[in-house]
Amino acid sequence: MDIDVEREAPCLVACPVHTDTRLMVEHILEGRYEDALDLLLEANPFTSVCGRICHHPCEESCRRVKVDAPLGLRQLKRFVVEATTDYRLRRRTPIERTRREKVAVVGAGPAGLTAAHDLVRAGFGVTVFEAGPEPGGMLGTTIPRYRLPYEVLREDIDDILALGVELRTECAVGRDISLEELRREFSATLIATGLSESRTLGVPGIDSHGVLLALPLLRAILAGGGAPLGERAVVIGGGNVAIDVARCARRLGAAEVTMACLEAREEMPAWEWETEEALEEGIELAPSWGPKAVLSAEGRVTGVELKQCVRVFDEEGKFNPAFDEAETTTLAADSVVLAIGQAADLTCLKGSSVKAGPGGRLEYDAETMGTSERGVFACGEVSTGPGAAVEAVADGHRAARAIAHFLDTGEVLKQPPREELPAIGELPEETVELIKARPRVEVARAPGETRVEDFSEIERGFTEAEARAEAQRCMACTTGAFVDEERCVGCLTCVRICPFGVATVTKTAAMPEEKCQACGLCAAVCPAAAIALKRYGTERIEEDLKRLLSEADASSSSVLIVSFCCLFETTSRKFLDENREEVAETGVARVLVPCVGRLSVPDILAPFEHGADGVCIIACAEGECLYPTAEERLGARVEQARRVLEEIGLHGDRIALWRTQESAEVSWTAFWEMSRRHLALIKAEEQKEAQ
Amino acid sequence: MKSGSNLERVLEAGHFTVTAEIGPPMGCNGEVVLEKARLLKGCADAFNITDCQTAVVRMSSIASAVLVMREGLEPVMQMTCRDRNRIAIQADILGAAALGIRNCLCIAGDHQSFGAAGRLKGHPGAKNVYDVDSIQLVSILKGLRDDGQQQGGDEVEMRPPLFIGAVWTPLGDPIDFRPFRLAKKVEAGTDFIQTQGIYDMELFRQQMAIAREMGLHERVAILAGIIVPRNLGMLRYMNSSVAGVTVPEELMGRMAAARKAAGEDKAQARRNQEEEGIRITVELIEQAQETEGVRGVHIQAIEWEQKVPEIVERAGLMPRPVMPAEG
Amino acid sequence: MIVAERKPLDEIKRFIEGFERVLVVGCGGCATVCLAGGEAEVKIVGSALRIAARKEGRRQEVLEDCVTRQCEPEFVEQILVRVKEEGVTALLSLACGVGVNFLAERLGDIPVFPGLNTKFFGATAEPGVWVEMCAGCGNCMLHLTGGICPVARCSKSLLNGPCGGSTDGKCEISPDVDCGWALIVERMKRLGTLDQLAEITPARDWSSSPHGGPRRVVREDLRELAAEAEENSAAAS
Repeated sequence: MDIDVEREAPCLVACPVHTDTRLMVEHILEGRYEDALDLLLEANPFTSVCGRICHHPCEESCRRVKVDAPLGLRQLKRFVVEATTDYRLRRRTPIERTRREKVAVVGAGPAGLTAAHDLVRAGFGVTVFEAGPEPGGMLGTTIPRYRLPYEVLREDIDDILALGVELRTECAVGRDISLEELRREFSATLIATGLSESRTLGVPGIDSHGVLLALPLLRAILAGGGAPLGERAVVIGGGNVAIDVARCARRLGAAEVTMACLEAREEMPAWEWETEEALEEGIELAPSWGPKAVLSAEGRVTGVELKQCVRVFDEEGKFNPAFDEAETTTLAADSVVLAIGQAADLTCLKGSSVKAGPGGRLEYDAETMGTSERGVFACGEVSTGPGAAVEAVADGHRAARAIAHFLDTGEVLKQPPREELPAIGELPEETVELIKARPRVEVARAPGETRVEDFSEIERGFTEAEARAEAQRCMACTTGAFVDEERCVGCLTCVRICPFGVATVTKTAAMPEEKCQACGLCAAVCPAAAIALKRYGTERIEEDLKRLLSEADASSSSVLIVSFCCLFETTSRKFLDENREEVAETGVARVLVPCVGRLSVPDILAPFEHGADGVCIIACAEGECLYPTAEERLGARVEQARRVLEEIGLHGDRIALWRTQESAEVSWTAFWEMSRRHLALIKAEEQKEAQ
Repeated sequence: MKSGSNLERVLEAGHFTVTAEIGPPMGCNGEVVLEKARLLKGCADAFNITDCQTAVVRMSSIASAVLVMREGLEPVMQMTCRDRNRIAIQADILGAAALGIRNCLCIAGDHQSFGAAGRLKGHPGAKNVYDVDSIQLVSILKGLRDDGQQQGGDEVEMRPPLFIGAVWTPLGDPIDFRPFRLAKKVEAGTDFIQTQGIYDMELFRQQMAIAREMGLHERVAILAGIIVPRNLGMLRYMNSSVAGVTVPEELMGRMAAARKAAGEDKAQARRNQEEEGIRITVELIEQAQETEGVRGVHIQAIEWEQKVPEIVERAGLMPRPVMPAEG
Repeated sequence: MIVAERKPLDEIKRFIEGFERVLVVGCGGCATVCLAGGEAEVKIVGSALRIAARKEGRRQEVLEDCVTRQCEPEFVEQILVRVKEEGVTALLSLACGVGVNFLAERLGDIPVFPGLNTKFFGATAEPGVWVEMCAGCGNCMLHLTGGICPVARCSKSLLNGPCGGSTDGKCEISPDVDCGWALIVERMKRLGTLDQLAEITPARDWSSSPHGGPRRVVREDLRELAAEAEENSAAAS
């Protein structure tokens, strides 16, 4: 084993909540969609939401980007959610309260609800106070429905509430109930009120009719109303909120929508894909322009005057825009929306001794998550500043840990702002060249002009076949080969066999994990049986076999086949579940293997020891194999196994090797039938010879 | 005189020497050998008796040599390294000398796997010996004859008078090494050389030029080996499958034409080719005579010994010189 | 390394046919490296024998094991123990002939059968192909032949040059076999030492080879320590 600290897949490391997306992908391939959902929800209670709107730092760090394109992990996550709707409902169980203490959470946004989720599962009582009519925070009130349908958000919220979290809506802390009352009634209080206010600007004309603030506007739109934005709308701002506003404006009928922002195009803080989609929807960008004045006539907006922004950040990297007042331009507009930043609503502090801090936020310790008052904690954007949904979830988890520790020990807990995990090394150039490029599975979007006709969701999720095809591209980082140095004799077989040039031998063999593609070809031929795969060790096949074949009656005249089939050729779960009755009925026991190229000769022979009459290996379609040379190597090993059978007096043809045609669902049943018939003939012949 | 053998004396006298070959039978019928001896008497100066050639068990060379001596022919016994260790070799040499055999050809011998070829089963699984190689064998014989010592150092009471021969494959592989090989055999003490069968006289003459440059032709008597071709198939076989033998296209063409001329008549075709074969043989002998440094020919007519007299006649080499009796 | 090849399974099967509890033992040395008798091969042989027993309706238990090397007393100790403790009735060794001998010497009443045919000392010519390079003659003469062995690599072990039976660098016995002397000549040409071959190598003393009888190598320095240890343990008891 490596003497270094175990390294993780970069997708897991990059995720703020360290979702094991690699394992999620593995589960998808194995058909274990429910297990995938469990692992996703364990890390992130807002799995449905993030499957739609997460900014996917996991994809940004996916090592596949050097080969072709990163894995579509967000879409795969969405697929898992969509494929397990029944299971999700079934798995909801209320949690037994085992602790005396109760915690109050102020604000039902993702940060607060995540903390509530964790604390309830730890046995505490939790009540969430939400000022508005519905839980969800920004997710429900300001993220446009074409990105995040409301029912999707409810999936996550309903799961959390079903655990036993008490929710009080239309209850604003600082107005309907005071923070001090909460502090008296509850053992700990968590402020998670977010940044729900839009900032405004002090430029001339800002009070004109037709100047709107982004967040209230979005709230109104999502609530079912809208504001008349006229034919031409100008949005001031370059972040995601500005993009949301601009795209909503288009949908509300504004023919011309322009975004003017301080940043240059490359500097814009909005997610790049959001900006692309906005451009597709006919939104114009005016980068490097700052607002100088709002122009109006008779108190109504007619346009906005902009001045050139020459620099946004100063030498110290601080936000400190500089302008060229002489360079100006004017945009005509019927409405101007300010999306220039968010601020906290600190109403909840009214009448309490909890102190506000600099910049309109709370006085706050980033390590302990404590405020100025003992027992009062804060998390989410109200303390961290603006962030993405998954970052809010991460902060919610941190807060729950801090609070649980406080309730257990009376002490605060210092935590690093972010758990740093060691990631596997980068993919070296020479390895990149050897990996087969496969295009990323993309879901086509409707053209921009069509999309702006309404607020319906612009993206659909993967079909099962698409999800399985995309999942195959995963390089399964960190699950590669490792060597038992006690057994390794340095024979160099693995070095010669490896199609990616990964293995090297000094005294014993080593497979650097940043290169290994987990194909298993080395393990299949190691003469000292010294190599195992962290991903899929064929040792487990024998256990599967014993289980599968225990039902079958070996002495019967019907034929019993063990079929090793390539997992990558399946486009559905049809063949992925074990059904022992099916084995008894059809006489075929299936073992799905991620690339049958990893089967060793003992693997191929083992079924015969356990009563099988034949082995039917179904490989991928010709030329499809992910791993170079695997097809030929498997062929040579099958020949070896056949020779072994011949030498002990059995027909070599008892081992059949097929190539999938089109897909598993299309061709495998026919192969099994043909193998069955062939074996029946062989058996009959042998019986005749015996007589 | 090293041995006083007829072969030695004919060479000494400066004649263009002729040796022929007798292949012993696979059984113990001595009459076969005697028959062949009678056929060949007088057409050569000495007669090689092969020693389990191609690793096929035949009546031993020494025994057959004794038989041919009864008919008045001088034998050249052959000793391979394949089947005997140095002890048996020296014992057999001493015995051969006691029986009056004077000429001995030292060869490594074909590998025992050669015995299983065509219809023959041979003894491909036999353990071969190769205790010594052909050059070491030449040294051993020289040591017995000139130093009166066995290889191990013990004295021999009476030194065997031997005329020591070895084989040279001038066109063997690697071809540029062959002259050095010859030099080494000469260095070891070889008195006469019989070459592997020559068809490509041009190439042979090139190798002879190098040998002459090294002065080897003066230290050892080189006899050019001539294998009598019986038909086109034989020429083709030797060209493709016998190491060190190359047959020029021209000769193959002549043989092919001879066969074709007979049309459908198989018997005639056979006769045509045989006649052509003898013609070719005679030409090759004449060409060998014209090659500087070549002092004779060694004619091999495998299972066709009866033609040798005719060949020697047509080559103008009859009658063979009769050396005066030893004084 | 020692290069060996697994015997045909039907032959192996016949060896062990009457034995109820057979232990297949692999070797982590040469046998593993030449893919003949390592852990993986033990699994294959074990599996094949169990399948055969099942097919033929025979009661036979086939157990598996593998040791670091079958030519060291310390390493085979675990096998001896296992044989006793588990009532093994026959051993099938997948080591070279040395391992078979070594185990046989130590197992008085349990037969040891060879699972491999030991072939030669050789090296990897290319992956999956091993060629013979050394005959273990006991008196290495490779300084005379450019490092290429005429004893092992000439079919006739000639010591003074090629016999003339080769064709295009291949031995007269088979086109798959290189003419050892062609290799030597080639190499010495490149070394510029070809003229050294003019010197006649006299008839060789073969007594250092197997022809002289089974051989033995002794390192007195290690031996003494063993003797001391014996003395010490004798003194202690």
